[in-house]
This record gives sequence, C-alpha cells and structure tokens, in this order.
Amino acid sequence: MAQIGASTPGVGQDGHVRVEPSGVHFDVRPAESVIQAAWRAGFQWPTTCWGQAECGVCAMEILEGAEFLVPADKVEAARLRSLPRRDGGNRRLACQTRLTGGGNLTVRKPGVRLRAVEAPPPSAS
Amino acid sequence: MRISALSKGGGSDLQWLELEDVGGLVRGNPGTGVRSTRNGARQEIVMTLANERLNGKRTNPFPMQDRLSVPRERYYDREFFELEKERLWRHTWQMACRLEEIPEVGDFTEYVICDQSILVVRESEERIRSFYNACRHRATELLKGSGSLLGGQIVCPFHGWRWNSDGSSSFVFGAEAFAAECLKPDDIKLEECRSAVWGGCVWINLDPEAAPLEEMLAPAAAILEPLGFADMRVWWWKEVVLDVNWKLAMEAFLEGYHTMRTHSQLTMGVGEEWDAGSLLYETFEHGHSRFWSKPSDVPMSAEMFIEFARVLWEGQDAMTLERDVRVFESIRHRPEAQENAAPVAIAALYEYAAGAGIPLPQLTPEQMGQWGGEVFLFPNFFVLPQYGNALSYRCRPHEDNPEKCRFEVWSLTLYPEGHDPGRAELSGRFAQDDEENWGMIPRQDFSNMERQQRGVHSDSFSHMRLATEWEGAIANLHDEVDRYIER
Repeated sequence: MAQIGASTPGVGQDGHVRVEPSGVHFDVRPAESVIQAAWRAGFQWPTTCWGQAECGVCAMEILEGAEFLVPADKVEAARLRSLPRRDGGNRRLACQTRLTGGGNLTVRKPGVRLRAVEAPPPSAS
Repeated sequence: MRISALSKGGGSDLQWLELEDVGGLVRGNPGTGVRSTRNGARQEIVMTLANERLNGKRTNPFPMQDRLSVPRERYYDREFFELEKERLWRHTWQMACRLEEIPEVGDFTEYVICDQSILVVRESEERIRSFYNACRHRATELLKGSGSLLGGQIVCPFHGWRWNSDGSSSFVFGAEAFAAECLKPDDIKLEECRSAVWGGCVWINLDPEAAPLEEMLAPAAAILEPLGFADMRVWWWKEVVLDVNWKLAMEAFLEGYHTMRTHSQLTMGVGEEWDAGSLLYETFEHGHSRFWSKPSDVPMSAEMFIEFARVLWEGQDAMTLERDVRVFESIRHRPEAQENAAPVAIAALYEYAAGAGIPLPQLTPEQMGQWGGEVFLFPNFFVLPQYGNALSYRCRPHEDNPEKCRFEVWSLTLYPEGHDPGRAELSGRFAQDDEENWGMIPRQDFSNMERQQRGVHSDSFSHMRLATEWEGAIANLHDEVDRYIER
C-alpha cells in the first residue's frame, strides 16, 4: 500500500519513465505524452507520423506502472487493435500516453536512444 | 474569326478547344457541348480569357448595372462562380481561423476555400504561418482538420517526407534516390501564403501582391475594436450546409429589413407597424458595411426590456446570453427602471461585469449604438456585437457548387479574466431545421434561403430589386465582387 508522502504520485507532478532494453530514463511533465517527454530529453523514438496516432510505430509495451496511465481514448484504442503484434495486450502508443500524475513507468521499446546531431536538410549541393 | 485556346480542364487530356468569335463574344463550338461537359467550367474560363484577349478588357458576364438590382445569374452561373474562384477568392483577405483554434505552439488547423486547402500553423508563441496543404513530392494533402504537431513536424502520410513548422524541409526518406535538382531546399520547402492577425482571428491571402490586411479591412474593422471583439472567445461554434449560393446566404444578414416577417417574434407584437427605419445603414469602401440602431425615441419598460432580452437569448443563445438576462431581471422592480429601463439595465450590466472580472469596455453612446447591429467585413465575415458578446458568421462556397455554401456561426463572449475556455472546436454540422442545435432565429433565417435559391431559377425572375438604403449593403457587396472580377 502506498504511503502518503513526497513520493506519492499526484496530479500536477512529474512522472518518470524508464525504457528497456536501452535503460534510458527521463521525466514526463503533466499533460505531456511519453514521446514528447523523450524528445524534450533529447531521445529519438521510432515514429513515422510524429504524434498523430496514425502510424503505430511508437507503440511500447508497458512493463510496470500501468496504474499511473490515463486510459487510451477511442482513436488510440482503435490504432492499438490494428497493430501487427498484440503480445500481452499491454501496449500503448507513446505519442498518446499520458500519466495521471507522478509515478514510475517502465516500458519496453527497442530503438530509443540519444538523438544523433540533427542532419542538415537535404540539399542539391 | 477562329481562335484556339489550350483548355486546362481536361486533366491529362489537354486539348485545343476551338472557339468561335460571334459578334465580339466568344462562344464554344456548339458541337463541343461545352456546358454539358464535365470540364465545362474550365472551358468557360478559357472562353472568358479568350474574350478578354479579343476585347482588351476583363469580361464580367453578369455585371451589376446599378445599386438597385442584382442579376439573378450571379447566384448560380458556373462561369461567374469560376471567375469568383480565380479572381476573388485567390486575391482577397479571408478569415481562416480564430486564434483560439490554435492556442498552443504546434497547433494547426486546415482552412479550405474552394479547391485550395491551407494549413494555419502556430510556429511559436508569436508567429503563425500558413502553408498550401500539398506535399512537394507528389501532392498529397499533408494534414486534415485540426490537431497538434507534437514533434513540430508536418509529415506526409504517403512517403514520410517531413517539414518543420516554419515550412523548411527536415527529412526526405530515401533522399539518395532522387536527382539533386528534385530536392533543392528552396523548391521543396512548403509553399507559404500570407497571413496576418486581426480581431482574434488569423486572416490569409493567396495573393502575394495583395494590399496589407489592415488596409483592406479599413474602415469597418475599426468599428469593432472598441467593443472588445478581439478579446471575445467562443461560447459555441456550429455550422450548416445550405443549398444556396454563398452570397445569397449572406445577404439575409446584410439587412434588418427582414425582421418584421422572418423574425416576427422580435417585433414584440407590433407586426407590420414595426419600424424598419429604426436601423441605420452605412456602406464603406472595400465592400464592407454596417447597420446599427438609431437611439430610440420610445423608452422601453423594464418588463419589455427583459422580455426582449429573454426572446433573444432563447432564440439564438448569442448576442444576449443567459447571464445578461439574469442581470436584467434584477432591475425588474426598480422604480427608476419602470419608464425607461435601458440605462438602468446597462448600468447593472457594467456593475455585474466589474464584479465578475469581465472586461466589458467603456463605450461612448455612439459606440454603444453598434450593440444589436452588424458589421460586415468583405468578402464573407460578420460580427453582430451586443453587450460583452457577439454573434459571428463566415460563409464559403462548398463542394465546388455555385448553389451550395458552408455557413458557420459563432456565439462569442468576454469570459472573466483568468478564465481559459480552452481550444475552440466546431461542435458540429447540423441540419438547418435541427431544433436541438439551432435556435428559432437562425432556423427562421435558413428557412428562407433555399426557397430564395429556387426562386432565382424561376422563369419569371430576372433580378433582385433592392431597397435603396436598407439593402444598399447587398449592392455594395456585389460591386466589390465586380471590382475583383474585372481587375
């Protein structure tokens, strides 16, 4: 049973995400999605639609801390159902997943790593 | 004389269209069946252009002859509609969205005008940009509706090309497969169009050479500024699609003359004795106009004032809102309000606003006269201010059909300071007779429009007959349309 104290998750508090297998971790601000938090912290997260809940590429497996998550809305739920691998049924889209308050979340998502220096835009030269 | 013109309308089957000069006017060869072909519209434009080449001036097939009549063809003719698309809508400033539709950095919304889709994007707190909504690769529309660019990236759903929210290219998937000349950064950045902010709204213009927004909104826009219009936020926002030409739909709102019969409940029982002359009309350059109320010689009793406010609130939930009615009800038994309620009611409203933190601006009597009236900003935007509220309309052609329009209605209000009503969203598209979603007043307005649209096709009818003063704003609108078409 959780104890009342500074570490108790609550509305308005930052949460924390740990990503396996890379082991990277970062804070998630209130109202921020997991992928936005990762980007803000300088990490690359696989996606092709960049936050529109369309591509499903950002999907992550929730290992711990599901109780801290705002439930998926209709759009996300529909997209999750159409993903090719449904192992465990505990997947969420990182671009849609928000925390209800604080709390520690652990997810599995291969390919999350520090972003390389931004490549210059394509050029004719 | 026989001339040839390249028809742009055939898609892949570009064709030379044979045109014949008949008495100074170019007509399509009867054998081509111009009006019945799928690409008739474009072909008619080609003919208009050919006429212009022959005559040395811009051709308007159905010009306004005077300010007392409007030729009926202006409401359904395909060629006239195509001229509006090419020469009006591609050159005029138009309200693309309210700022509160894109409140956060990365928010976007799509604005569609005729066959053009424009993305309005909040690039930063201070900067808003507008882009043509077409991928530089193979034309796919990039985004639909409204949403947020979480990663600051506009992504093509087809091959995943990406742009930053300033329109610069940020990623071309498989760039190595393209010749260098296909990927010049200046060529593949998103094509931007002009945008500017006025009145809490983003305005766009597809013409890079157009005069600045503030110049084109003058002088009418200045009437709204002291009334707090720019600070108003959405109370509700709905739309209706009508089988009506866009100008015809708007014309119902350019005059108050129709009140007596269309909104007979607003005459408070006097019927044909209602004084239509109590409204004053003014037309301006650039197609703008307004009407407002003459100060009444006949004071209203408290009962009458409250009842009128209640009818307006229940009839449309705009201009007068429930909170105003409640404030007015508080003066019902005040002795000083029995003979002439308006000054007492307005004082009570200001007192309430001050206590509630509503930034209701102080107004001169002349400025206050605009309450209950209307300001029209050419080509298609209306504001009807009253108290700390306003009704607002925008009307656009719909589905490339001269006889269809998309008519939006906003009820706006000044919220108490510090209260954020959140991102504005269209609550829906509702049928014109939907009693759940439209109050009695807009339903009454809509009900005449399709009857009017059918009426202009009557063989008995050739032109609208306009009241000189009361319907002058309609002539003013059409004159400005002609100025664009004939430029």
